[in-house]
Formats: sequence, C-alpha cells, structure tokens
Amino acid sequence: MSFLEIRGLSLALGGRTVLDGISFSLERGRLLAIIGPNGAGKSSLLKCLGRLYTSFSGEVLLEGSRLDGTPQKEIARRIAWVHQEGLDSLPYTVREFAEMSRYPWRSAFGGMSARDREYVEEALALTGADAFAERCLKSLSGGERQNALIAAALAQGTDILFLDEPTSFLDYRHQAETLKLIERINKEHSMTIALVTHDVNLALRTADEILALKNGLVAWSGPRQGFIESGLMSGVFDTEFVCFKAKKDGMPYVAPRVFVE
Amino acid sequence: MRRLTIPLLLLFSTVVIAVAPFVGATDLSLLGGADSAAVRIFTELRLPRVLLAWITGATLAVCGLIFQALFRNSLASPDMLGVSTGAAFGATLYIRLGTAVSFFGLFSGLSLAAFIGALAATAAIYAAGSAKRGGMTAATQLLAGIAISFLFSSLNMIIQYSGGYTDTFRMMRWTMGGVQAVGYSTVTATLPPLAVILLIVLIRAPELDLLVTGEDIASSRGVEVVKLRRRLFLAVSLVIGLNVAVCGPIGFVGLMAPHICRKLAGTAHRRLAVACTLFGGAFLVLCDTAARTLWSPAEVPAGVVTSCLGSLFFLWLLVRR
Repeated sequence: MSFLEIRGLSLALGGRTVLDGISFSLERGRLLAIIGPNGAGKSSLLKCLGRLYTSFSGEVLLEGSRLDGTPQKEIARRIAWVHQEGLDSLPYTVREFAEMSRYPWRSAFGGMSARDREYVEEALALTGADAFAERCLKSLSGGERQNALIAAALAQGTDILFLDEPTSFLDYRHQAETLKLIERINKEHSMTIALVTHDVNLALRTADEILALKNGLVAWSGPRQGFIESGLMSGVFDTEFVCFKAKKDGMPYVAPRVFVE
Repeated sequence: MRRLTIPLLLLFSTVVIAVAPFVGATDLSLLGGADSAAVRIFTELRLPRVLLAWITGATLAVCGLIFQALFRNSLASPDMLGVSTGAAFGATLYIRLGTAVSFFGLFSGLSLAAFIGALAATAAIYAAGSAKRGGMTAATQLLAGIAISFLFSSLNMIIQYSGGYTDTFRMMRWTMGGVQAVGYSTVTATLPPLAVILLIVLIRAPELDLLVTGEDIASSRGVEVVKLRRRLFLAVSLVIGLNVAVCGPIGFVGLMAPHICRKLAGTAHRRLAVACTLFGGAFLVLCDTAARTLWSPAEVPAGVVTSCLGSLFFLWLLVRR
C-alpha cells in the first residue's frame, strides 16, 4: 500500500478535459515535483489531491483510505498548502496568518492553546519569518512573503505539504533559499512534499520523483534520474534542451537549446 | 488602543440607549406619576422605539459583516442581495391587494407579507446557488443576488404603477424604512434573530477570518467553503427578512458599519461582530433620534437619515488619511 495513491483521476472544467486518467503513487517522506508546460493541468491535479477541486472522477487514497467523503478539516490535519494567489491585499500580520492555520485543530470556541502557539513559533523560527512576524503580509517583499506562507503552512502541523509554483515570483537568491528550505523541511522534518513547477531545474535539483504532465495526461512518472535519460523532456515542453552536469556535485541541469546555441 | 475599542463602544452604545428616549418633541418629566402622559410616551413609545432601532442597527451591521466576509467583497451588504427588495415586493403586493390582518399580535399582515417576500427572494437566490454543480463562486452568487434584486424591483414598480395614489404613497413610505414602534411586540419579534445571528457569527468567526484570505486558502485550512457560504447566506437572509418585515429596508448600516468597525477593532471577526453589534445599534438609534427630532414635529424615515449621515461620515473616514 502506497502512502499517497491516485487511480484514474480525470477532471473537466468548463466542458474541457483538464486531466485524463492520471495514476501514480508516492511513498512517505518523498518529494514529488509535478512538471509540465503551461496549461498541462499541474495545479489542477494538486487541487484535486487536496480536494480543493471535488468534481473529478477517480480515486485519491491516503494510506489506503479514500479522501472523498473525508471532512475538509480532517484533510487539513494531513495536508497543508502554500498558495501563491490572492495574498497581496491581506490585512493580517505574518503571525496572525500563521495562527489562523491552526484552525483544523481548534474547537469552535477555543482560543489558541499552548500547543498551537508552539507550532506557530516553531514554524516562524524554522523559516526565518520570526524576524518579521509582526509585519503585515502585504508589506513584505517577495522572498519574505514566501517564507511567511511556508511558515503558515508548517504551523498547520501536517505531514504532507503541497506547494504551488513556490519559486515563480522570486529572484535567483530567494529561489535558492526557498529550495534549500523546502529540502530541509523534506529531509529533516520528514514531510512528504508535492510541488508544482514549470521549472525543470528546480525539479531536477530537489525532487525524488517527477510526474510530467502534458495536455492532462501523464507523459512520464518515476525517479528524477530517469526523466532526463528517458529523452521525453523535449516532447513534454515542445522545446529542445541541452543537458549539463554541475561541476560541484554532478547534478544535471538543462537549458533550452535556443538559449545556448 | 484596540484593546479599549470594545469597552469604549459598549460605553458609547449604553449612553446612547440611556439618553435617546429622553430626547424628542415632547419634553419628558417622569416625576408626574406612573399614569402621566410623559411616562406613557417614555415606556410605550420612545423606549421600545429606541430598543427596536438598536436591535435593527445591530442586526444590519452584523449581517453586513457576514456578507462582506462571505463574498470577499467590501461592497456587499444585506440590502443589495434581493432580500430587501423581495420583502418590499411582499409588502407592496399586500398593500395593493388592500387586505388588513394581524397574526398573534406579533406580526401585522404587512410584516408577514414582507417576510414571505423576503423568503421568496432568498429561496430564488439559494436555488440559483444550489443549481450549479459544486456550488456557485462568491462572485456568481453575489451577481445572482443582484439580478434577483433587480427582478423584484421591477415587479415592485409594476405593482406601484398599477396602484392608486394612496396605495402608492404607502408603498413608497414602506420602502423608505423606519423604526416606529408602539409597545414591545416588535422588540420581542426582532431580538431573537439578532441573538441567533450573533451566536452564529461568534462560532463561525475563525472560518470567516480564513474566508477573507481566499477560497483556496480557506479550503486548504479545513473550511467547507461552499457549505459555509450556503448556510450563512440562508441564515443572514432569514434574519434580514424578519427584520425588514418589521422595519422596512434601512440602507447603508449593513454596508458602512463593518468598515468603520474594521478601522476601530481590527480584522478578527469575533471582535468585529461584537463591535458591529454595539456600533450598528448605537448608530441607528442616533439616526432615528435625529429623524424624529430635527424636523420636529414632523418626522423623516430613519432610512433616509442613515443613508445621508452615513454616506457623509463614511466619505470623511475614507479621505481622512
């Protein structure tokens, strides 16, 4: 029995097939990168897994139990999210936003317990967001905001973390810092992570497993080493790639051929 | 400073309720004995009117707060979403048919007709929201409410157009809203809905806090967004329907009070709900006191004053900084 298993997941939005018979599995503690070109259905797949979309067919099983019919609060005790959209105008401070993540663990009238505060403080400290915890979310720079969002997700106290395009709006320095943070959370805190990205290099550097989507179908699924060897990357992105190896650790990285030649 | 907001609003609200019954066209001297006209004016007219105004203002403000969070739209207010125009439809139809009945001394036939109209509008909006698979988005449900509001407005105009001068005047007067009360039946009819909606918002406050951050974030933190929106929409509509049935539509309090309270009390909905109750109630008492004294012995409907004073105050608040 796999930790997270997806069987024949299909989704149509507005009459258009977005995902078509997706099946894959992920073991506990692994880091999965869902990659593909724009419109491939990456974010939609992640939303189906977290049941933010519910009108799909197929099965999502967490430790053998189907997630459909599970109350959203129960799901929120297992899966936390880092979203990128709609956070520009939020009136909350970083700490307030992180405290709100404790909702799935709190009773109707209960305030923050000592345990809740402990989770929030740990999450703020781990991400470095404690340095700007009293600032309003909308006043933060892109890098600070990303750390604040990851802190809020960690404060939720789950064992699974979903990240939607975690480096999209970041400069190179902050991309590298965010990647390190994600790796730390995965390795040191044993969190199972699924992240959506269109950045192949991010996937190749951080992920254990890669799921490549194209036009709503699985183009490739398996360990990251196999993805480049499979020779499918050019077909997935409709672009020729040149592959290099990093001098430092021999890790592969790629660049579109038109940029290099 | 924000720690003092709730105690200060409580003091403000208490002072307004305590002082308002003594203000009016007739100078009250309560020392003339229990049967004096002054005592009867105080206990049977002014006090119930002040209490009804406070309850109505508080109800509108709390319902406005819920709607603004529910639709993530700072322009959402209970009087926008068809419930008030539905109530007006019931009232105008009742007046047009020329019937006159009363139910258990609590509700007049006019109020009951208005409530049925509000229920019809609520059912229409609710059905539209439920018809879509997976539920409507906040924006679609808001637009559906506005569309139904326009639909009932047009029906109201048809009824008004077909009525005589006297009926049309009564209809127009009803749609201006007011908190005239004789005795305490209207107070007993409107207090329980306020208590219920206040209890609901106090329980659901953490979910409303999350809903403000966006549907995806709220869902991923464990909020059943579609269910919450449907249930709260229904609850607010019923409470507003009951209140409008008694007082007619009173505009602007539901829109403005949450904004002012956010500036005073911050963004947490539990505190905001208490602040809105205290501020909304006191605000409508002040507006109604102005409505019955400024042009004394004539009166203007409280709804006219809320819109006039409210919009000027709101503009001042917006440009102040």
